[in-house]
Amino acid sequence: MASMWKEFSKGLWNEIPPFRLVLGLCPTLAVTKSADNGLGMGLAVIFVLVLSNAFISAVRKIIPKKVRIVCFIAISATLVVAVELLMQAFAYPLYQQLGIFVPLIVVNCIILGRAEAFAAKNPVHLSIADGLGIGVGYTLALTLVGALREMLGTGMLFGKYIMWESFQPFKIMVEAPGAFLALGSLLGLMNCITIIQARKRGDELPVNLTSGCGGACCNPEK
Amino acid sequence: MREILSMIIVLSAICSASGFALSYLKQTSAPLIEAQVLTYVQGPAIASVYPAAENDPVAERQPFNTPDGRRVMVFPYKQGGKLLGVALENKAGGFGGDVNVMVGFNLGNDSLLGIGITEMKETPGLGTKVAEPKFTKQFIGASAAVELSARGGKVDSVSGATISSAAVIGAVKAADQDYQALKAQILQTWQ
Repeated sequence: MASMWKEFSKGLWNEIPPFRLVLGLCPTLAVTKSADNGLGMGLAVIFVLVLSNAFISAVRKIIPKKVRIVCFIAISATLVVAVELLMQAFAYPLYQQLGIFVPLIVVNCIILGRAEAFAAKNPVHLSIADGLGIGVGYTLALTLVGALREMLGTGMLFGKYIMWESFQPFKIMVEAPGAFLALGSLLGLMNCITIIQARKRGDELPVNLTSGCGGACCNPEK
Repeated sequence: MREILSMIIVLSAICSASGFALSYLKQTSAPLIEAQVLTYVQGPAIASVYPAAENDPVAERQPFNTPDGRRVMVFPYKQGGKLLGVALENKAGGFGGDVNVMVGFNLGNDSLLGIGITEMKETPGLGTKVAEPKFTKQFIGASAAVELSARGGKVDSVSGATISSAAVIGAVKAADQDYQALKAQILQTWQ
Protein backbone atom coordinates (compact mmCIF):
# COMPACT_ATOMS: atom_id res chain seq x y z
CA MET A 1 0.00 0.00 0.00
CA ALA A 2 2.79 2.41 0.96
CA SER A 3 4.58 1.80 -2.33
CA MET A 4 1.38 2.40 -4.28
CA TRP A 5 0.93 5.74 -2.51
CA LYS A 6 4.53 6.60 -3.29
CA GLU A 7 4.03 5.90 -7.00
CA PHE A 8 0.75 7.83 -7.01
CA SER A 9 1.97 10.90 -5.15
CA LYS A 10 5.12 11.43 -7.20
CA GLY A 11 2.92 12.44 -10.14
CA LEU A 12 1.37 15.25 -8.12
CA TRP A 13 4.51 17.26 -7.43
CA ASN A 14 7.91 15.70 -8.01
CA GLU A 15 7.14 14.42 -11.49
CA ILE A 16 4.07 16.48 -12.43
CA PRO A 17 4.13 16.02 -16.20
CA PRO A 18 4.04 19.42 -17.94
CA PHE A 19 6.03 21.23 -15.23
CA ARG A 20 8.64 18.68 -14.18
CA LEU A 21 8.85 16.06 -16.87
CA VAL A 22 8.05 18.81 -19.42
CA LEU A 23 6.21 16.22 -21.48
CA GLY A 24 2.87 16.44 -23.23
CA LEU A 25 3.26 20.14 -23.92
CA CYS A 26 1.33 20.20 -27.18
CA PRO A 27 -2.10 19.66 -25.59
CA THR A 28 -1.01 21.71 -22.58
CA LEU A 29 -0.54 24.70 -24.83
CA ALA A 30 -3.33 24.06 -27.28
CA VAL A 31 -6.43 23.03 -25.37
CA THR A 32 -6.16 25.12 -22.20
CA LYS A 33 -8.28 28.03 -23.41
CA SER A 34 -10.61 27.36 -20.51
CA ALA A 35 -10.52 25.39 -17.29
CA ASP A 36 -13.28 23.13 -18.62
CA ASN A 37 -11.25 22.09 -21.65
CA GLY A 38 -8.16 21.46 -19.54
CA LEU A 39 -10.13 19.28 -17.16
CA GLY A 40 -11.78 17.33 -20.00
CA MET A 41 -8.47 16.70 -21.74
CA GLY A 42 -6.90 15.66 -18.43
CA LEU A 43 -9.70 13.17 -17.75
CA ALA A 44 -9.23 11.66 -21.22
CA VAL A 45 -5.51 11.30 -20.53
CA ILE A 46 -6.14 9.69 -17.12
CA PHE A 47 -8.40 7.13 -18.77
CA VAL A 48 -5.88 6.26 -21.47
CA LEU A 49 -2.86 6.36 -19.18
CA VAL A 50 -4.26 4.17 -16.40
CA LEU A 51 -5.60 1.55 -18.79
CA SER A 52 -2.54 1.53 -21.04
CA ASN A 53 -0.26 1.19 -18.01
CA ALA A 54 -2.42 -1.64 -16.68
CA PHE A 55 -2.56 -3.54 -19.99
CA ILE A 56 1.09 -3.07 -20.80
CA SER A 57 2.14 -4.10 -17.34
CA ALA A 58 -0.07 -7.18 -17.54
CA VAL A 59 1.43 -8.36 -20.83
CA ARG A 60 4.97 -7.08 -20.18
CA LYS A 61 6.40 -10.58 -19.78
CA ILE A 62 5.14 -11.90 -23.12
CA ILE A 63 6.05 -8.88 -25.25
CA PRO A 64 9.29 -9.55 -27.14
CA LYS A 65 11.83 -6.76 -26.48
CA LYS A 66 12.31 -5.95 -30.15
CA VAL A 67 8.68 -5.11 -30.88
CA ARG A 68 7.77 -3.61 -27.52
CA ILE A 69 7.31 -0.03 -28.80
CA VAL A 70 4.92 -1.19 -31.53
CA CYS A 71 2.96 -3.16 -28.97
CA PHE A 72 2.78 -0.18 -26.60
CA ILE A 73 1.59 2.09 -29.41
CA ALA A 74 -1.01 -0.44 -30.57
CA ILE A 75 -2.42 -0.69 -27.05
CA SER A 76 -2.50 3.03 -26.40
CA ALA A 77 -3.91 3.78 -29.88
CA THR A 78 -6.77 1.37 -29.22
CA LEU A 79 -7.54 3.11 -25.95
CA VAL A 80 -7.39 6.55 -27.56
CA VAL A 81 -9.86 5.56 -30.28
CA ALA A 82 -12.08 4.14 -27.54
CA VAL A 83 -11.91 7.39 -25.60
CA GLU A 84 -12.71 9.35 -28.77
CA LEU A 85 -15.79 7.24 -29.47
CA LEU A 86 -16.95 7.45 -25.86
CA MET A 87 -16.45 11.20 -25.81
CA GLN A 88 -18.50 11.56 -29.00
CA ALA A 89 -21.23 9.38 -27.55
CA PHE A 90 -21.49 11.00 -24.11
CA ALA A 91 -19.84 14.43 -24.18
CA TYR A 92 -20.19 15.77 -27.71
CA PRO A 93 -19.67 19.48 -26.85
CA LEU A 94 -16.35 18.60 -25.21
CA TYR A 95 -15.38 16.60 -28.31
CA GLN A 96 -16.19 19.64 -30.48
CA GLN A 97 -13.93 21.78 -28.29
CA LEU A 98 -10.98 19.39 -28.10
CA GLY A 99 -11.23 18.27 -31.72
CA ILE A 100 -7.99 16.91 -33.14
CA PHE A 101 -6.24 16.82 -29.75
CA VAL A 102 -8.15 13.75 -28.62
CA PRO A 103 -6.75 11.46 -31.35
CA LEU A 104 -3.38 13.10 -30.75
CA ILE A 105 -3.26 11.72 -27.20
CA VAL A 106 -1.73 8.66 -28.81
CA VAL A 107 1.44 10.55 -29.67
CA ASN A 108 1.48 12.27 -26.29
CA CYS A 109 4.90 11.44 -24.88
CA ILE A 110 3.49 10.86 -21.42
CA ILE A 111 1.65 7.73 -22.51
CA LEU A 112 4.60 6.07 -24.22
CA GLY A 113 6.99 7.50 -21.64
CA ARG A 114 5.19 5.91 -18.70
CA ALA A 115 4.73 2.65 -20.64
CA GLU A 116 8.43 2.37 -21.41
CA ALA A 117 9.81 3.83 -18.19
CA PHE A 118 7.43 2.32 -15.68
CA ALA A 119 4.74 -0.11 -16.81
CA ALA A 120 7.17 -2.32 -18.74
CA LYS A 121 9.19 -2.94 -15.57
CA ASN A 122 6.68 -2.97 -12.73
CA PRO A 123 3.71 -5.06 -11.57
CA VAL A 124 0.14 -4.12 -12.47
CA HIS A 125 -0.94 -2.48 -9.22
CA LEU A 126 2.07 -0.17 -9.12
CA SER A 127 1.60 0.69 -12.79
CA ILE A 128 -2.01 1.64 -12.18
CA ALA A 129 -0.96 3.84 -9.25
CA ASP A 130 1.72 5.42 -11.41
CA GLY A 131 -0.69 6.07 -14.29
CA LEU A 132 -3.29 7.48 -11.93
CA GLY A 133 -0.77 9.75 -10.22
CA ILE A 134 0.76 11.09 -13.41
CA GLY A 135 -2.71 11.43 -14.96
CA VAL A 136 -4.12 13.32 -11.98
CA GLY A 137 -1.04 15.54 -11.92
CA TYR A 138 -1.47 16.24 -15.62
CA THR A 139 -5.15 17.02 -15.14
CA LEU A 140 -4.39 19.39 -12.25
CA ALA A 141 -1.75 21.13 -14.31
CA LEU A 142 -3.99 21.50 -17.37
CA THR A 143 -6.89 22.72 -15.26
CA LEU A 144 -4.62 25.22 -13.52
CA VAL A 145 -3.21 26.57 -16.78
CA GLY A 146 -6.72 26.65 -18.25
CA ALA A 147 -8.16 28.41 -15.20
CA LEU A 148 -5.41 31.02 -15.24
CA ARG A 149 -5.87 31.73 -18.93
CA GLU A 150 -9.65 31.77 -18.75
CA MET A 151 -9.62 34.04 -15.69
CA LEU A 152 -7.23 36.58 -17.18
CA GLY A 153 -8.45 36.25 -20.75
CA THR A 154 -12.21 36.37 -20.25
CA GLY A 155 -12.76 37.10 -16.56
CA MET A 156 -14.57 33.78 -16.15
CA LEU A 157 -13.86 30.53 -14.39
CA PHE A 158 -15.61 27.31 -15.50
CA GLY A 159 -17.94 29.56 -17.53
CA LYS A 160 -18.99 31.78 -14.57
CA TYR A 161 -17.96 35.42 -14.32
CA ILE A 162 -15.78 35.89 -11.24
CA MET A 163 -13.70 39.05 -11.73
CA TRP A 164 -14.69 42.53 -10.57
CA GLU A 165 -16.92 44.61 -12.80
CA SER A 166 -14.43 47.04 -14.34
CA PHE A 167 -12.00 44.18 -15.12
CA GLN A 168 -10.66 44.42 -18.66
CA PRO A 169 -9.83 40.94 -19.95
CA PHE A 170 -6.38 40.35 -21.43
CA LYS A 171 -7.50 38.92 -24.75
CA ILE A 172 -3.99 37.63 -25.42
CA MET A 173 -4.30 35.05 -22.65
CA VAL A 174 -6.90 33.00 -24.55
CA GLU A 175 -4.91 33.28 -27.79
CA ALA A 176 -1.91 31.09 -28.61
CA PRO A 177 0.77 33.35 -27.00
CA GLY A 178 -1.16 33.34 -23.72
CA ALA A 179 -0.51 29.61 -23.44
CA PHE A 180 3.25 30.22 -23.46
CA LEU A 181 2.95 33.11 -20.99
CA ALA A 182 0.84 31.07 -18.57
CA LEU A 183 2.93 27.89 -18.82
CA GLY A 184 6.21 29.79 -18.55
CA SER A 185 5.11 31.74 -15.47
CA LEU A 186 3.87 28.59 -13.76
CA LEU A 187 7.10 26.74 -14.57
CA GLY A 188 9.10 29.62 -13.12
CA LEU A 189 6.92 29.75 -10.02
CA MET A 190 7.33 26.02 -9.43
CA ASN A 191 11.10 26.27 -9.77
CA CYS A 192 11.17 29.17 -7.28
CA ILE A 193 9.20 27.13 -4.75
CA THR A 194 11.52 24.17 -5.19
CA ILE A 195 14.59 26.36 -4.67
CA ILE A 196 13.15 27.99 -1.55
CA GLN A 197 12.28 24.58 -0.14
CA ALA A 198 15.75 23.27 -0.89
CA ARG A 199 17.35 26.30 0.83
CA LYS A 200 15.22 25.82 3.93
CA ARG A 201 16.30 22.25 4.23
CA GLY A 202 19.87 23.33 3.59
CA ASP A 203 20.20 20.95 0.66
CA GLU A 204 22.29 21.49 -2.40
CA LEU A 205 20.37 23.46 -5.00
CA PRO A 206 19.13 21.11 -7.69
CA VAL A 207 21.06 22.03 -10.80
CA ASN A 208 18.68 20.72 -13.40
CA LEU A 209 15.16 21.27 -12.14
CA THR A 210 13.46 20.39 -15.36
CA SER A 211 14.93 18.50 -18.23
CA GLY A 212 15.37 21.77 -20.09
CA CYS A 213 16.77 25.17 -19.12
CA GLY A 214 14.24 25.76 -16.34
CA GLY A 215 16.72 26.09 -13.48
CA ALA A 216 18.64 29.09 -14.73
CA CYS A 217 15.63 31.36 -15.08
CA CYS A 218 14.66 31.66 -11.44
CA ASN A 219 17.88 32.16 -9.44
CA PRO A 220 19.84 34.92 -11.18
CA GLU A 221 21.48 36.40 -8.04
CA LYS A 222 22.78 33.84 -5.63
CA MET B 1 13.41 -18.43 -35.57
CA ARG B 2 11.59 -18.82 -32.27
CA GLU B 3 12.09 -15.14 -31.59
CA ILE B 4 10.61 -14.09 -34.92
CA LEU B 5 7.65 -16.40 -34.39
CA SER B 6 6.95 -15.03 -30.95
CA MET B 7 7.15 -11.47 -32.26
CA ILE B 8 4.66 -12.27 -35.03
CA ILE B 9 2.29 -14.07 -32.71
CA VAL B 10 2.30 -11.48 -29.94
CA LEU B 11 1.89 -8.54 -32.29
CA SER B 12 -0.90 -10.19 -34.28
CA ALA B 13 -2.67 -11.16 -31.07
CA ILE B 14 -2.52 -7.62 -29.69
CA CYS B 15 -3.62 -6.05 -32.96
CA SER B 16 -6.50 -8.42 -33.59
CA ALA B 17 -7.71 -8.06 -30.01
CA SER B 18 -7.74 -4.28 -30.36
CA GLY B 19 -9.40 -4.55 -33.76
CA PHE B 20 -12.24 -6.63 -32.38
CA ALA B 21 -12.64 -4.45 -29.30
CA LEU B 22 -12.81 -1.28 -31.38
CA SER B 23 -15.25 -2.61 -33.97
CA TYR B 24 -17.53 -3.74 -31.15
CA LEU B 25 -17.30 -0.33 -29.49
CA LYS B 26 -17.87 1.44 -32.80
CA GLN B 27 -21.03 -0.53 -33.44
CA THR B 28 -22.46 -0.07 -29.97
CA SER B 29 -21.69 3.64 -29.85
CA ALA B 30 -22.90 4.50 -33.38
CA PRO B 31 -26.56 5.20 -32.47
CA LEU B 32 -25.52 7.22 -29.41
CA ILE B 33 -23.11 9.30 -31.49
CA GLU B 34 -25.75 9.91 -34.16
CA ALA B 35 -28.15 11.18 -31.49
CA GLN B 36 -25.46 13.47 -30.05
CA VAL B 37 -24.58 14.87 -33.45
CA LEU B 38 -28.25 15.56 -34.17
CA THR B 39 -28.64 17.32 -30.82
CA TYR B 40 -25.51 19.45 -30.96
CA VAL B 41 -24.89 19.99 -34.68
CA GLN B 42 -28.21 19.72 -36.53
CA GLY B 43 -30.46 20.65 -33.58
CA PRO B 44 -29.44 24.32 -33.22
CA ALA B 45 -29.47 24.81 -37.01
CA ILE B 46 -32.99 23.39 -37.24
CA ALA B 47 -34.14 25.56 -34.35
CA SER B 48 -32.85 28.62 -36.22
CA VAL B 49 -34.55 27.49 -39.43
CA TYR B 50 -37.99 27.21 -37.84
CA PRO B 51 -38.17 28.58 -34.33
CA ALA B 52 -41.98 28.30 -34.28
CA ALA B 53 -42.13 24.52 -34.73
CA GLU B 54 -44.65 22.82 -32.45
CA ASN B 55 -43.30 19.32 -33.03
CA ASP B 56 -39.85 17.89 -32.40
CA PRO B 57 -38.20 17.89 -35.85
CA VAL B 58 -35.18 15.89 -34.68
CA ALA B 59 -37.25 13.11 -33.11
CA GLU B 60 -39.59 12.86 -36.14
CA ARG B 61 -36.84 12.81 -38.76
CA GLN B 62 -37.06 10.32 -41.64
CA PRO B 63 -34.39 9.11 -44.05
CA PHE B 64 -35.14 9.32 -47.77
CA ASN B 65 -33.25 8.00 -50.78
CA THR B 66 -32.57 10.42 -53.60
CA PRO B 67 -32.80 9.22 -57.22
CA ASP B 68 -28.99 9.22 -57.41
CA GLY B 69 -28.78 6.85 -54.47
CA ARG B 70 -27.82 9.07 -51.52
CA ARG B 71 -29.52 8.92 -48.15
CA VAL B 72 -30.90 12.26 -47.01
CA MET B 73 -32.32 12.94 -43.56
CA VAL B 74 -35.46 15.08 -43.70
CA PHE B 75 -36.74 17.00 -40.67
CA PRO B 76 -40.47 17.86 -40.70
CA TYR B 77 -41.87 21.19 -39.44
CA LYS B 78 -45.42 21.07 -38.15
CA GLN B 79 -47.79 23.57 -36.66
CA GLY B 80 -51.16 22.49 -35.29
CA GLY B 81 -50.47 18.95 -36.49
CA LYS B 82 -50.15 20.09 -40.10
CA LEU B 83 -46.94 19.69 -42.08
CA LEU B 84 -45.86 23.16 -43.19
CA GLY B 85 -42.31 22.60 -44.24
CA VAL B 86 -39.27 20.35 -44.21
CA ALA B 87 -35.59 20.90 -43.63
CA LEU B 88 -32.76 18.97 -45.19
CA GLU B 89 -29.03 19.31 -45.21
CA ASN B 90 -26.59 19.54 -48.06
CA LYS B 91 -23.11 20.86 -48.59
CA ALA B 92 -20.87 22.68 -51.05
CA GLY B 93 -17.14 23.29 -51.17
CA GLY B 94 -16.03 26.46 -49.41
CA PHE B 95 -12.68 28.03 -48.66
CA GLY B 96 -11.46 25.53 -46.05
CA GLY B 97 -13.55 22.48 -46.88
CA ASP B 98 -17.23 21.66 -47.18
CA VAL B 99 -19.83 24.03 -45.78
CA ASN B 100 -22.85 22.08 -44.52
CA VAL B 101 -26.12 23.96 -44.54
CA MET B 102 -29.51 22.99 -43.15
CA VAL B 103 -32.14 24.43 -45.48
CA GLY B 104 -35.82 24.77 -44.59
CA PHE B 105 -38.41 24.71 -47.39
CA ASN B 106 -41.98 25.98 -47.26
CA LEU B 107 -44.13 23.19 -48.71
CA GLY B 108 -46.84 25.69 -49.71
CA ASN B 109 -44.88 27.71 -52.25
CA ASP B 110 -41.46 26.01 -52.36
CA SER B 111 -39.74 29.13 -50.98
CA LEU B 112 -37.08 29.02 -48.27
CA LEU B 113 -38.05 29.08 -44.59
CA GLY B 114 -34.50 29.88 -43.62
CA ILE B 115 -31.06 28.32 -43.36
CA GLY B 116 -28.67 27.35 -40.61
CA ILE B 117 -24.99 26.41 -40.95
CA THR B 118 -24.23 23.06 -39.32
CA GLU B 119 -20.56 22.44 -40.07
CA MET B 120 -17.77 24.41 -41.72
CA LYS B 121 -14.03 24.93 -41.63
CA GLU B 122 -13.97 28.48 -42.97
CA THR B 123 -11.49 31.13 -41.78
CA PRO B 124 -12.44 32.18 -38.21
CA GLY B 125 -13.73 35.74 -38.05
CA LEU B 126 -14.06 36.03 -41.81
CA GLY B 127 -15.62 33.08 -43.57
CA THR B 128 -17.37 32.01 -40.37
CA LYS B 129 -19.48 35.18 -40.60
CA VAL B 130 -21.74 33.32 -43.05
CA ALA B 131 -23.25 31.63 -39.97
CA GLU B 132 -24.30 34.96 -38.46
CA PRO B 133 -27.94 36.15 -38.68
CA LYS B 134 -26.88 39.20 -40.72
CA PHE B 135 -26.09 36.88 -43.62
CA THR B 136 -28.51 33.99 -43.03
CA LYS B 137 -31.61 36.16 -42.54
CA GLN B 138 -31.42 37.15 -46.22
CA PHE B 139 -32.62 33.65 -47.07
CA ILE B 140 -35.81 33.78 -44.99
CA GLY B 141 -38.77 33.80 -47.36
CA ALA B 142 -36.53 34.00 -50.44
CA SER B 143 -37.27 31.92 -53.50
CA ALA B 144 -35.18 28.77 -53.76
CA ALA B 145 -33.38 30.10 -56.85
CA VAL B 146 -30.98 32.21 -54.74
CA GLU B 147 -27.91 33.91 -56.15
CA LEU B 148 -25.30 36.34 -54.85
CA SER B 149 -25.89 40.01 -55.71
CA ALA B 150 -22.55 40.03 -57.54
CA ARG B 151 -24.08 37.52 -59.95
CA GLY B 152 -27.39 39.33 -60.34
CA GLY B 153 -29.19 37.83 -57.33
CA LYS B 154 -30.47 39.31 -54.11
CA VAL B 155 -28.11 37.88 -51.50
CA ASP B 156 -25.30 40.20 -50.37
CA SER B 157 -22.17 38.17 -49.74
CA VAL B 158 -20.11 38.64 -46.58
CA SER B 159 -17.44 41.14 -47.58
CA GLY B 160 -14.06 39.46 -47.89
CA ALA B 161 -15.64 36.01 -47.83
CA THR B 162 -17.12 35.59 -51.30
CA ILE B 163 -16.05 31.96 -51.59
CA SER B 164 -17.68 31.06 -48.28
CA SER B 165 -20.84 32.95 -49.27
CA ALA B 166 -20.93 31.21 -52.64
CA ALA B 167 -20.54 27.86 -50.86
CA VAL B 168 -23.67 28.57 -48.81
CA ILE B 169 -25.55 29.42 -52.03
CA GLY B 170 -24.25 26.22 -53.62
CA ALA B 171 -25.37 24.16 -50.64
CA VAL B 172 -28.84 25.76 -50.73
CA LYS B 173 -29.16 24.94 -54.42
CA ALA B 174 -28.01 21.36 -53.86
CA ALA B 175 -30.55 21.02 -51.03
CA ASP B 176 -33.23 22.45 -53.34
CA GLN B 177 -32.48 19.76 -55.94
CA ASP B 178 -32.90 17.07 -53.30
CA TYR B 179 -36.09 18.74 -52.12
CA GLN B 180 -37.59 18.85 -55.62
CA ALA B 181 -36.70 15.20 -56.18
CA LEU B 182 -38.10 14.06 -52.85
CA LYS B 183 -41.14 16.33 -52.49
CA ALA B 184 -43.66 13.73 -53.66
CA GLN B 185 -42.28 11.10 -51.29
CA ILE B 186 -42.18 13.60 -48.41
CA LEU B 187 -45.84 14.54 -48.89
CA GLN B 188 -46.80 10.86 -49.02
CA THR B 189 -44.93 10.06 -45.81
CA TRP B 190 -46.35 12.74 -43.57
CA GLN B 191 -49.83 13.41 -44.99
